[in-house]
Amino acid sequence: MINKGFYLGLGISFLLTGCDLIEYHPYDVRIDGETGINVKNIERIENACEGKDTIRFAFMGDSQRWYDETSDFVKHVNSQDSIDFVIHGGDISDFGITKEFLWIRDIMSGLHVPYVALIGNHDILGNGKEVFERVYGDENFSFVAGDTKFVCMNTNALEYDYSHPVPDFNFIAEEMTDTMAFSRTVAVMHVKPFDDQFNNNVAPLFHAEIKKYPSLQFALHAHNHRLQVTDAFNDGFLYYGCASMKERNYMVFTLTPEGYSYEVVYF
Amino acid sequence: MKWSTFKRILLCLLLLSVTYSLVAKETYSPGVEKYHTLWNKLIPRYGKIQYAGSMGFLSAGTGWAYGTNDQWETDLLIGIIPRYSSKRAKATLTLKQNFMPWKIKLNDQFNIEPLACGLYLNTVLDNEFWVKEPEKYPSGYYGFSTKLRTNIFAGQRVSYRYDRNDLNKKITLFYELSTSDLYFISGATNKYIHPRDVLSLSFGVKLQLF
Repeated sequence: MINKGFYLGLGISFLLTGCDLIEYHPYDVRIDGETGINVKNIERIENACEGKDTIRFAFMGDSQRWYDETSDFVKHVNSQDSIDFVIHGGDISDFGITKEFLWIRDIMSGLHVPYVALIGNHDILGNGKEVFERVYGDENFSFVAGDTKFVCMNTNALEYDYSHPVPDFNFIAEEMTDTMAFSRTVAVMHVKPFDDQFNNNVAPLFHAEIKKYPSLQFALHAHNHRLQVTDAFNDGFLYYGCASMKERNYMVFTLTPEGYSYEVVYF
Repeated sequence: MKWSTFKRILLCLLLLSVTYSLVAKETYSPGVEKYHTLWNKLIPRYGKIQYAGSMGFLSAGTGWAYGTNDQWETDLLIGIIPRYSSKRAKATLTLKQNFMPWKIKLNDQFNIEPLACGLYLNTVLDNEFWVKEPEKYPSGYYGFSTKLRTNIFAGQRVSYRYDRNDLNKKITLFYELSTSDLYFISGATNKYIHPRDVLSLSFGVKLQLF
């Protein structure tokens, strides 16, 4: 009896470990574990920041194939005090493969604070977009932390044709209708205007539209894998670009009633 | 798969079978015999079904065995990826090269092949995937193909001759561990990625009918 039980247990455990090894296709969009992360975490961020007049958040992006570095990033943020949330600026994956999203999801789930992720051009490859939508949610979304609204937009226009609006001006307009709920705005995107992926035909129009938001503070982007501060339209409005995880640094922004400041943190 | 592609494949198969039946009716002559041997070699003699292995949920197809001890096998498999959270189910095509260096006879009916290894190319038949980057991208923008995966594998096989009167008739069970080009790159450059994250286990059965 003992022997039978032992062998049965051995067999079952072999099958269970075997299950991890079963993959139908790198692009199969077969997803185990947590989904709908942005919606859940937005609720956490909005609840935690409600009524706060000072907001601190970390901004990073382009985790792509730098899993070790992203793991270290998570440890580093966890060791920091007073960060309210994290924004991943997109390019979660490198090849748009289903498992890549899940690896980064599992690493980022180690964060003690909630995070949201934007879609990057690499995340659209193959059927990566469908993985992103399942694991994180809509390509365009927003949330309010304290008195500040973060408008997060898909700007990876090169990955689409004209049947899909990127950037989506309807979304940008809709996000202006509930101005009672916030007094300041931050625009977040993976690709900034005038970069290779952006629909540069509408770059000035896009800039003019987002500047209509109440007290737009600055814009955030990833994609170029290096730290950048750009006055893209020579009007004094700044686009801040974070480096890739490979560079082992991230940005921390502090929004206070008087204004904002930022620092670059190396890990 | 596009309907036109399907029709083309069907037409090819029809032409092949008509040619074969015509050749088969010919009376004996040395030239014809040569044809016969050639055609004989081209007739697939087995069917294969494989579960998982990063080439589809289930793949099925046929192939050709050759070499002095039939140690080489080339398979052509068609697979299916169910829809899951994507927009639609997709078909895949796999071209697989197998190499079995050793065959160990256990008794009259059973033999094992302690190593079956090789590589396979897998392609997703879906228009959102490309082999070569579309022209809209600056050259070398992504530098890889979403449509074409190269996989390497190693596994083992056990065969059973189910008809004592016909030595060719046999059923073979096999399992394989494989990985693909992109997984290999990810695993090689990160401590976080364990071999179990990038290895793919599959099971299959091969049925040789004649």
